[in-house]
Formats: sequence, structure tokens, C-alpha cells
Amino acid sequence: MILQLNHLQRKSAASTTQEVVDTLYSLLEEGQLEQEQFARLRVHLDWIQYRHNFRECVMAATAISEPHKQHSPLEMHIDTRQVTPGALRGEILRTMTSGETPAPAQERVLLEDFQSFRESIAWGFNRLYWHRLADWENFTGRGYEQALPGGKSDANHPVAVADCVGDFWTLIRDLDSRKQLPEEIFVLEIGVGMGTRSGLWLDRFRKLDEERGTKYYPRLKFLLGDYSLATLERSRPAVKNHLDLCSFIVLDALNPLKNLAFLRHKILHIHLTNVYDNLPDEEFTRRDGKLYAVQVRAYVPGPDAQRISEQLQMPAANIPRTVHRLLEGGPDYLNDRNRGLAFWQEVWKAMRLEERLVNLEDLPDVALPTGLHQEKLEEVLQGAPSDVRFHASSGALESFQNTVPLLHPRGFLQVQDIFVTNFNEYRLGFHGPGKLDGSIVNWVNGVLLREVGERAGYDVHFAPFHYRKGSRTSILYTTQRE
Amino acid sequence: MTLPILPTTVVGSYSMPGWLERLKTEFYARRISRRDLDEIHDTAVKAAIKDQEIAGLDIISDGELRRDNMIDYFAERLPGVQIDHASKKFHYDFYDSKVLGKLPMAPLGLVEDVKFLRANTDRATKFCVTGPHSLAKRIRNEYYPSEQEFAMDIAHVMNPELKAIAKAGAQFIQIDEPNYSGFPEDLPWGVKALNALVEGVDAKIAVHICYGNRYGKPSWEGSYAYLLPGILDANVQQLTLEFARRGGEDLKLFRELPPRLELGIGVIDVKTQAVETPHLVAERIRKALEVIPAERLFILPDCGCLHLGRDVAFGKLCAMVEGTRMVRKELKG
Repeated sequence: MILQLNHLQRKSAASTTQEVVDTLYSLLEEGQLEQEQFARLRVHLDWIQYRHNFRECVMAATAISEPHKQHSPLEMHIDTRQVTPGALRGEILRTMTSGETPAPAQERVLLEDFQSFRESIAWGFNRLYWHRLADWENFTGRGYEQALPGGKSDANHPVAVADCVGDFWTLIRDLDSRKQLPEEIFVLEIGVGMGTRSGLWLDRFRKLDEERGTKYYPRLKFLLGDYSLATLERSRPAVKNHLDLCSFIVLDALNPLKNLAFLRHKILHIHLTNVYDNLPDEEFTRRDGKLYAVQVRAYVPGPDAQRISEQLQMPAANIPRTVHRLLEGGPDYLNDRNRGLAFWQEVWKAMRLEERLVNLEDLPDVALPTGLHQEKLEEVLQGAPSDVRFHASSGALESFQNTVPLLHPRGFLQVQDIFVTNFNEYRLGFHGPGKLDGSIVNWVNGVLLREVGERAGYDVHFAPFHYRKGSRTSILYTTQRE
Repeated sequence: MTLPILPTTVVGSYSMPGWLERLKTEFYARRISRRDLDEIHDTAVKAAIKDQEIAGLDIISDGELRRDNMIDYFAERLPGVQIDHASKKFHYDFYDSKVLGKLPMAPLGLVEDVKFLRANTDRATKFCVTGPHSLAKRIRNEYYPSEQEFAMDIAHVMNPELKAIAKAGAQFIQIDEPNYSGFPEDLPWGVKALNALVEGVDAKIAVHICYGNRYGKPSWEGSYAYLLPGILDANVQQLTLEFARRGGEDLKLFRELPPRLELGIGVIDVKTQAVETPHLVAERIRKALEVIPAERLFILPDCGCLHLGRDVAFGKLCAMVEGTRMVRKELKG
């Protein structure tokens, strides 16, 4: 057995570690755990980063790659923060012995079948959150930015914005000096939120342009793009002094090219903040030289289902159907909007994900992220730790590949987000998925982004966001390579 | 070379199959031999020729499938150019190449490519060579006092090779100079170097000038207005330009093109995987016919098809041929 210990909390997990080891030995001696199961098990302790997540105190992932063998857990993950004294043995035993068959309803209410996380119902909740953000905020009484670590977005840091504007001005000045500056100067911000950054950027650009007398500001065409029309409406006041040159465009960050194809190769600067970490994703894991896809199945734990049932006066068995209707029709589906919002929030809070591992060789139709071929992935993994679990960041890769064709040959893309830029970082902690208020947050696999970007003809660099001490974000900077 | 009216051809490269990319990488990793790679290249080139024939093109190229990219194939062959073979990650990237002394005169070994092409098709053929301006812009010059002098020497070294190519049967030679569009201020000396390159070469000469196609993307944007009148000093018979992706707005610039010059117009956008319809191709040709007579018009994609999937490239060439046939019928009345 391999025990992987991290030290992510203030207090070490030494005592829990001892308890875990003692428990597993005793299960082995009692015959509840086979020698082979014990030998191939990898136990991760203290791996939870986000306080709100989809994990139970103890969870195990079973590999189903060997059809003639008994399915046995390959990985066990223990959240030391959730461990309560005396409960560990029961929890470990439960996870080690539970198979793929649906658990009795009193233990968990299943919301879906096993599938890639990208296809999980969890993303339906995420979509609903952004579409009905105002309802959610009214119900909880706080804005979404307050849910961010630190309570505000690094996107709006005035010095960072000023630096970005400065870089942009230098670029267009250079193009102008070569007589290659287009008459219309297009800039695109994807995921505008409240529009604060766009407003800051435009204020700064106008000021700089006036100071330097270059008259570029009137030629600017600033596009504010967002998934949600409601969000775009909320961004309008922030750019009220620049409305003449702003356009508000509903677009899917996964494929901006779809709506903006007419601007292919024309946009000189594209910016995104905290968008990639909220795009559909899935995970892979490499164990003993084999590559597995991590499949998930969402459920509501039995006690939570019972509580929701009592609170909202509906049978627990009706929760899955009600969830699907909620995701289709929004909180009004439950007749009383507040009742719908309460149901939404309670289910979201309680929702957990079971996991299983499926060998990629058994998934001939597995869809690797756009632009990533299996040979390339294997090449990348040659430089990674031998056993590693990582994000595919398929949504981020898709978005990237559907955004860069919009760039003018000399344009640049900036993405401010939480990136893993080295596979070794995956050994140092948990990088999501987590729950950030009503949405999902996931670190982005910058290594794969860099590989896919380079193969597509772009140089991809990451720089730490140095404008705020303690910020976990980085800035991805992309230009077309020669 | 008897050709129909509105002859169809490629700009040079054909779709680079993913398997060929991987095999090239295997070669660089020393997992397959030079001999095996040569055989693979021969097979891939034959397939590219066959695809062009089936698509119905009038003038065939070798698809340039032996080339990593438009620079390195020549940089590696130019005597006196030093290559850092560890300097690129993908075969399509550029090597870090430099020149530290005067280029000596020596053959580049391109004649064998021409012979192979000629041996594998009965159709008219075309052979493409990167021009001295584009090579001088990419190969680091650490010897010559200026880029212009470096480019002129490249032209002098390559000129005998072009003569040999023509002698080996290349009826139609295209010089690729996309970097003119990135450095329009260089055009006067770029044209001088071009003229030195093609001096005394007994073949039809075209110069292809686009806005770049690295990784299937443009490298610059702008207008072809910069070409005039400077490009008229070039001793070539044809200008081959990009119009499909950029629209036909610049076509009017060439209304007064001297009768000695033909125009090759790009009617296929090679920077999108969407296959044009023959009707769209025909429409683009008709637009060009408003500014130049059919007798002086050649029909091509905007640039090489290197970055297109094979099915897409083949589909685009078929659409190009079909669209051209539609216009030919109209011209016959």
C-alpha cells in the first residue's frame, strides 16, 4: 500500500494517519480486505483544498479495467478536516466494500449514472447558477464576488489593468508605425461579470491615449462577451462612459468563434478572467503505468436527502426528478420561487460525486480534449510523476482553441486564472473541483494548455499575478509564434 | 505545356497527414532510419500527386511533403548555413539557423525532387522554391553587412539550382515570398534578389505573395497596395496572390497589370476547414474576371494546403476544379 501524505492544513494529519493505517491493517487481519487489495491501494490524506466540495470524508475510486477480476478500490481519499473521532473505521469499511451497484436509498439518492465529470449533472447546476445569478444572490443576500477568496476579483486590480493597457498601447503604436494598424481596433473581454474590469480598462486606455495624443480611442471597438444576457445587462453601468464603442455579445466561452467568426484574425487583444476555471472539465489518472478516465456519479447522501425531503415536504425518491426539472426550468418550476431556490441550494450543498476509474484502453471512443492526441498526452506524461491524477481541462482547451483564431496575427490573449503549470503540483494538493457559492471551480491544467497551444502555433507563457500578495492566480499570455 | 483556359493548380503544399507528422518526429528521435523516412516520403508524395490528379488539377506539385516547412528544407541545403538541430520541438517549427561566412557555391539537391515528380505524373508540373527575401528574413545573418546583401548571395547560390531544376523538366517554377507582406519596405531589394534568383532560368516563373500561413494562420494583415508599382520590376510571368480569405477588395489594384503578367488568384481559403462550394469558387473567379481577362488568369488556393485535413484539402481542390469548370462553360457560351 502506498500512503500519500500532504501537509495542506495548519495541523498535520499525523494522528489521523496512524488511525488510517491501524484501521486498514485490522481490516486486513479480519479478512475484510484482501491482501491484493491492500497491496495495490494508494491512500491520499489531507488532499482537500476547497472547503466546499463534492467529496465525502472517505471516498474510494474503483478501477474497472480488468473484467475478470473483482473490482477493487485503487485509490482512497481521506479529507482529514471532515474526520470525526471514532467514525473513520466505519467510513473506510463502507467505501472499501461498496461496489458499483446503487446503494440503498437510505444511504444515497443517485442523480445520474457514471460518466465523465464533463457530462455530469454538476455542470447543469453551474449553468443554472450563471443564468439565474440574480435570483441566487437575492436569495442568499450576497453577490457572487463576495464568494471569491478575499471577497473580490483580482481581475479588477488597477495596476494590473493599467499594465495591460500599456502593453496594448505599445502594440498598436508599433503596428501604426509600420502602417499595419487596422482602421477598427477590436478588443474582446470574455466573461465580463459586473463589467468592472472593462470599465477600468477603457478609462485607462482613454486617459493614456489622450496623454500621448495618439487618437486611438475613437477607433476602438470594445466587445463585452458573456454567457448570460443578464450578466451583460449588469455590466452596462460600469462602461457607461464608453457606450458608443462598446458592443454586448452573448457568447459561449467554449466557442467564441461561433458568434464572432466575422472577426477571425481581427481582434488585437482578448482577455478572460476566472472563466477557464469554471468550464466543464474531467480528470484522468495514471496508476501503475495505465491511464484511467475518472468517471463520476452524482448523488445526495441519504441523511441530506431525508432532511431536504422533510424541509421541502417532498418524498426523497422524488429528488432526482425534481432536480432535472429544476435544471430545465429554473427555480420557478417548484411553483414558489423561494421554495425552488431553497431546494436548489440544499441539493447543491449536499451533492457529492462517487468515482470510478476506467482504463482508457477500454474506452475506444474516449474523447480527449480538442487538440490533444493520445500520443501527445503520453509524451507529456513522460515528464510527469509516475502515478498522478490530473485535470484534462477539456473546456479550457476547447475555449482556447476556439478563441485564438480570432486574434489578429500580432494580437495577444491574456487569461487570468488558477493554473497548474507543472504536473508535480498535482502531488502537492487538491486542485478541484470545488464549489464556489453556486458554481464549480477547478484549477486549469496549464501544461496541457501550453502543449496544445504550441502545437497550434502559439507561444503560451504563465506569469504569477504579482499585483496582490498571496494571490493564487497566474496570467497566461499568448501570442502567435513565428 | 497545353493547358485549358483558367488552369487550376495548387500553391505548393498538400495536406500533411497526421501519421506523417508523427513519423517525422520518430525520425528526429532516431527511432526510424533516414532510408525508411525517404521511402515514407516517396509514398506520401505519390499519394499527394494522385489526389491532385483525381481532384482534376491541371498542374500538379509534389505536395511538398518532404519539407518540414518552407524555410528549413532550403536552409539545410544551402551550403554554409549552420543549423542547430536541437532547436525545434515540432518538425514544423523553424530551426535556429545562421550564416557565419560567405555562402559557398554548391548544389542544393532539389533536382531529384523534380525528377520524382515528373516520373509520377503525366500532367503539367510545378515546383516551388522559397525566395531569397523570405530565407534572409528567417536565417540569422551574422556575416553579411545587410539583409539585402545576404539575400542577393542566397539568390546567386540558388540560381544554378533553378536552372538545373528547369533542365530536369520543371516547366513551371513558383518562388514563394510571403515575407514581402510583413516587410513591405523591403520590396525594392526583395525584387532585386528575386530577379537575381530567376535570371536565365528557362521556365515559366511565378511569385507567390500571401499574408503568411504559419500553422494555418496569417502572419500579417494589410493591403496588397504596397506591391504596386514595385512588383512590376520583377522578371516573372505570374503573380500568385491570396484573395479568398481576405475578400476580393484588392483585386481592383491589378486592373492595370501589364499584359506580360498573369494573375494567379486564391479562390480557396486554406485557413478554415470549411469546404467551399463550387458556386462560391465560381463567384470568386467571376469577380476576378472583371479585372483581368481569362487568358491571363490561373486558379489556385490562397496558399499551401499543409494545415488542412486530407479530406478537407481534397474536398476544397475538388470544389475549386468544379467551380472553375462552371466558369469555363460560361466563357464558352
